[in-house]
Amino acid sequence: MDFDLNEEQQAVLAAVGQLLAQRAGAERAIELAKKAEYDGELEAALSKSGFLDVALDVEMGFLEAVLVTEAVSAAAGVVSIGAQLLVAPGLTRRNLPGPVAVTRLGHRGPVRFGAHARTLLLDAGDEARLIELDPSKAEPVRSNFGYPMGRIEIDPIAGESLGPGSGATLRNWWRLAIAAEAVGSMGSALDVTVAYVKQRHQFGRAIGSFQAIQHRLAQCAVLREATRWMVYEAAYKGAPADATATAAAYATKAADQIFAETHQLTGAMGFTREHDLHVWSMRLQALRLEAGGIYGHQRAAAQARWLGR
Amino acid sequence: MEFEWSQEDREFRRELQEFLDENLPGNWDQISKDGPGSDAQAEFASEFCPKLAQKGWLTQNWPREYGGRDATPWRHAILGEEMWKRGEPRSSQYMNVNWVGPTIMRYGSEEQKAAFLPPISEGRATWCQGFSEPEAGSDLVSLRTLALRDGDDYLINGSKIWTSYCNYAQHCFLVVRTDPNSKRHRGISVLLVPMDTPGIEIREIPSLVGERYFFEVFLSDVRVPISSRLGPENEGWEVVTYSLAFERVGAPRYARAALTLDELAKLAEERGLLEDPTVLEKLGEARALCEASRLLTYRVIDLRAHDSPPTADTNVARVAGTMAERAVSELAFEIFGPEALEYGHSAEAHYRLAMTAGVAVGTTEVNLNLIASRFLELPKE
Ligand SMILES: Cc1cc2nc3c(=O)[nH]c(=O)nc-3n(C[C@H](O)[C@H](O)[C@H](O)COP(=O)(O)OP(=O)(O)OC[C@H]3O[C@@H](n4cnc5c(N)ncnc54)[C@H](O)[C@@H]3O)c2cc1C
Repeated sequence: MDFDLNEEQQAVLAAVGQLLAQRAGAERAIELAKKAEYDGELEAALSKSGFLDVALDVEMGFLEAVLVTEAVSAAAGVVSIGAQLLVAPGLTRRNLPGPVAVTRLGHRGPVRFGAHARTLLLDAGDEARLIELDPSKAEPVRSNFGYPMGRIEIDPIAGESLGPGSGATLRNWWRLAIAAEAVGSMGSALDVTVAYVKQRHQFGRAIGSFQAIQHRLAQCAVLREATRWMVYEAAYKGAPADATATAAAYATKAADQIFAETHQLTGAMGFTREHDLHVWSMRLQALRLEAGGIYGHQRAAAQARWLGR
Repeated sequence: MEFEWSQEDREFRRELQEFLDENLPGNWDQISKDGPGSDAQAEFASEFCPKLAQKGWLTQNWPREYGGRDATPWRHAILGEEMWKRGEPRSSQYMNVNWVGPTIMRYGSEEQKAAFLPPISEGRATWCQGFSEPEAGSDLVSLRTLALRDGDDYLINGSKIWTSYCNYAQHCFLVVRTDPNSKRHRGISVLLVPMDTPGIEIREIPSLVGERYFFEVFLSDVRVPISSRLGPENEGWEVVTYSLAFERVGAPRYARAALTLDELAKLAEERGLLEDPTVLEKLGEARALCEASRLLTYRVIDLRAHDSPPTADTNVARVAGTMAERAVSELAFEIFGPEALEYGHSAEAHYRLAMTAGVAVGTTEVNLNLIASRFLELPKE
């Protein structure tokens, strides 16, 4: 057991942090959101510096991949980072052309990155399918929830089957990706809220000095810390069904609570596009609804633990 | 980062489990039903702990010079998990090895170390914790029990409350005020007091928690030598906080909660309840809370393994532990229904321990206060 980042991991984080400081951030996310654009430039920069290859790199692996995923999410990067860094290499053992969208048969409503994706990973039940998409035929969908979205017409026999049983593998990695992205978003949502309550004064004092507020943020901090470690452990173990479902169940529940609390504690300002909170908070809700949502993850966690499926 | 037990650690856990299978009697469920403070369990521990010590397991994470084996804190965590899973066969001695011993190691004089550490590591010491007072609960620094110098002695007057296990304890880790004109954190000292010193009287407070859990300790003109002080005079608050950092994650409650949850799931399956998606969801949710608690506790152990000073991670872990306990014990009620109302029923026994998680060893609110100030650096009220 060792919970410290090793030197390699620290170096990866420092390097990706530097890149993100230049090319990502709330301001850029807000700019791109105006036209529901995808950040192709950021994806290209991440790719050029090798960050999209960390999962399959012989020197690194999925632990480094979740760290990068978390960092990109924390910097509000508008790229399909979890799908590219975790789901694609975890499922297919290769890097797939991005943007990558993930969805499942029977899904209704828009799909994250669905208007831009060149690759679709489909949870078709027992099997997973890898489908090439033509972005020029995409159907963008307007959404408030922090990511560019699109509707995808699902053809259950399109593309290539990844073999019997691959559906379960896809679900495991998908859950890990959701939880890893949630860690980054909840961390930043919480950080901007903590900064806000320290600076906002009412009744002659910083609102962050009220215990009613402190306790709720402290609860959120517990949720964030726990989610992080659950994600790291699940990644370290190679995304087994129980650890990933448990991490996703916890992460999505935490996401929902952190959404509610951060918006409550930032008052009206938190609902504006002027304040950065929405960049991360709205994403939390998008993540929380994906892949079966909180209850689906909870059932999966119980089934993996006690029913062996 | 590495989330895996070493080969040796796994081997140790297996050996320990075998040892427990062999050494816990067939009627252990009966013996342990009233909690670690009960007469039956305390008696059992007086035989059992020396056996653990002979195996070299009771204080293996201690340095060799104090009767340990220089093992990592992880080893001690494994011991704690396996003990809690079985209802703590060490009875009150878990406190000795978790925090009394380490605090004496850190602040004790050579004489104190020589006098107190060997009995602990040999499994024949019993201690109690004299912190809380009627007027000093969460606000521990408002404690009033006074120890005034009188020649080469301290003369102690006052009272302590909620003092678990004091009926069996040979010694009390007693927090007192040594400067009568002091306030708050200043003027506090720690005394290591033999419980058979004249002037000490105890009275049991009947409780819902278990047999012989709560006591009041009355101290009237209790005389102890100045050499029984642990650490500096009037600066004992530092000693207290040091001990609390060890205590707060001492009992791995998640291990028992997770085990109870496994038993619940098995029972739910036998009763056909796993067909019900709501039951599955509740089980999955509780499982996630147990895992969260386990990992956050591991984080604290990891910091200790790296010799880092105590941080608010301890409080974070504690809050998560209480959430897990609550989820599991409530679910046990839901699944068993009114069966759980019978004293000694597994759901009832779990609930009895679990319901105190948010109060004992510092309340949830106090932990949240500390997370807010130390972790989030929010301004004071
Ligand atoms: C099972 C059990 C075993 C124990 N064993 C021992 C023992 O062996 N030795 C020992 O010394 N003590 C022991 N205790 C006592 C324990 O440490 C105290 O119960 C605990 O510190 C809380 O103090 P209190 O009970 O006086 O509650 P109070 O401090 O009166 O608190 C009551 C409520 O008010 C809240 N509150 C208090 N202050 C604040 C604040 N600043 N902000 C917000 N909320 C606040 C609390 O969180 C709590 O919800 C034990 C307790 C239990 C339950």
